[in-house]
Amino acid sequence: MASGGGGAYSYSLTVFSPSGKLVQIEHALAAVSSGTTSLGIKASNGIVIATERKSSSILIDDAVIEKVAVICPNIGIVYSGMGPDFRVLVTRARKSAQSYWKIHGEYPPTKILTQEIANIMQQATHSGGVRPYGVSLLVAGWDVNRGPMLYQVDPSGSFWAWKASAIGKNMVNAKTFLEKRYNDDISLEDAVHTALLTLKEGFEGQMTEKTIEIGVVTVPSEAELEEGKVEGTGRYKPTFRKLSEEEIRDYLAL
Amino acid sequence: MSIMQYNGGSVIAMVGKDCVAIASDLRLGVQSLSIATNFQKIFPVTDRLYLGLPGLASDVATLHERFRLLTNMYTIKEEREIEPETFAQLVSSTLYEKRFGPYFIEPVVAGMQKTPSGGYKPFIAATDLIGCLNFAKDFVVAGTASEKLFGVAEGLWEPDLEAEDLFETISQTLLNAVDRDAFSGWGAVVHVITKDKVVTRKLKGRMD
Amino acid sequence: MEVSFGITGKGYVLVAADTTAAHSVIKVKNDVDKIIELNPHLLMAYSGEPGDTVQFAEYVERNIRLYQIRNSLPLRPPSAASWVRKTLAQSLRSRSPYSVNLLLGGYDTSDYTPHLYWLDYLGTLVEVPFAAHGYGSYFALSLLDRYHDPEASLEEGIETLKRCIAEISKRLVVSPERFKVKVVDKDGVREIEL
Repeated sequence: MASGGGGAYSYSLTVFSPSGKLVQIEHALAAVSSGTTSLGIKASNGIVIATERKSSSILIDDAVIEKVAVICPNIGIVYSGMGPDFRVLVTRARKSAQSYWKIHGEYPPTKILTQEIANIMQQATHSGGVRPYGVSLLVAGWDVNRGPMLYQVDPSGSFWAWKASAIGKNMVNAKTFLEKRYNDDISLEDAVHTALLTLKEGFEGQMTEKTIEIGVVTVPSEAELEEGKVEGTGRYKPTFRKLSEEEIRDYLAL
Repeated sequence: MSIMQYNGGSVIAMVGKDCVAIASDLRLGVQSLSIATNFQKIFPVTDRLYLGLPGLASDVATLHERFRLLTNMYTIKEEREIEPETFAQLVSSTLYEKRFGPYFIEPVVAGMQKTPSGGYKPFIAATDLIGCLNFAKDFVVAGTASEKLFGVAEGLWEPDLEAEDLFETISQTLLNAVDRDAFSGWGAVVHVITKDKVVTRKLKGRMD
Repeated sequence: MEVSFGITGKGYVLVAADTTAAHSVIKVKNDVDKIIELNPHLLMAYSGEPGDTVQFAEYVERNIRLYQIRNSLPLRPPSAASWVRKTLAQSLRSRSPYSVNLLLGGYDTSDYTPHLYWLDYLGTLVEVPFAAHGYGSYFALSLLDRYHDPEASLEEGIETLKRCIAEISKRLVVSPERFKVKVVDKDGVREIEL
């Protein structure tokens, strides 16, 4: 019945084993560990998040795949693990960001949105009839109060702030690599290159603008902040954006 | 007689140079009968932000309690105090939530807003009873004496008033406007907010 | 026509209410007690829609009692007033609102201060030195503007109260014939015979 790797406590709903483990969550983490590598690096003037985008067949039209998602103009996320679970979380996170905007007239700070997503993921660990989400996320965003922030959220619903982190298949190696490479006053440009170098470690096949995705947070200048909202739209300039294929190609060429 | 005029009362807010002021009368009545002359209509939200709630007295208390709850929750969740502009949005969305059974209040928000460079700038706003925001650069008025307040404020207000002059301007505006309104008056309270302090003064007007 | 009023003095609150139960133009009773004791140091005069009044007063009484049982401490007057206000305000926007106007008088045994609150069926709450409901308020309030003294002794307070009653009896066309008067002070609630 409940056989397989988890033994007697790996039911479809999350149940504590006598040793205090929630085996379903560990399985979810296993799903994350077998997912493609993603990473995020915080720079002095921004954040970069990046991931592999590999398709199982050359026949797949990979232009449609989206692994780095914009949640709101100041926040983007990337994942390792199960694609469909990610899509659900992206939808929920976008809705949450919009309902925050409806109440406060501004988009949520990165921490608030991260908590919001973490809550959704935590709910799945103690609700009946559901399984934990099979993804880990890297949330990158900027807000006036805390500046640029990079968070990682795990299937258990726990989250931490990082200066740099990696998740997925190659995370152990990637983290070791980042630990060697990271310093506090790295520029965003350098961070993008470090991100590419880190991804390259253990990258199978050719790394091109088609096989990776990159998102960046750019910290607005003092002048841009004082300028405030963009004339006509009544909104602040977006601080998170995805890099286009051309931009990625330029970075790869260097 | 509209429910908005049932209890009477008026609020006004003005912008000065590196300061804002918000003031109200102190009357609570039932139509033309005065019940109390100590009825608070302006409430502190943070150290630099005040909220005026003229309108139906029952809703003054209800909304005061509601905004206290909402801002306390905000402070705990966001680990910071709410800024005037964000609070004005919160007021607007809270009122619009009851679009088809509104609170009979026309709130006025006044405070010093943090700028990205670490300074403070004056902020005032007012909404109607269903939360339509009015961001003004000079002054906002609300309550049973609002027409009179508009008239007097239009004549007395000028740009870049220092805190003391702003106090004089807002006090004279309020006192003279409520003297022409049967539903407002019986003394007033004035708060002058600057970046590092709030000066609160109680005024006696024509106590009849 | 129903009349109730209250005045504060030095360390006490006096509350008076008429004792008439009326059905349209007919007096059916003239010994009704419209001032309920919510706890040993809290009383409440109620008036308004017959039926609603007693229902609501007893609902408040039971809840105040429940609070005391749960917490082994009585609700202080400001908190009690706030609770009653909230209940009325919620009721106002419900399918069947209570039409009850109240005067809440209490003595705070923690800081030895008397409190008098004026509440109406809309959920309006205000703390006042003296208050009144009903047609009597037009006479009592203006009289109290002249004669009320927050530092008055109980004897002086009762004198002022008698003036109010005399004025109402004299000037109000539909004046009630009897009043019940209660006082709350450091010794608790008790009735006073005028």
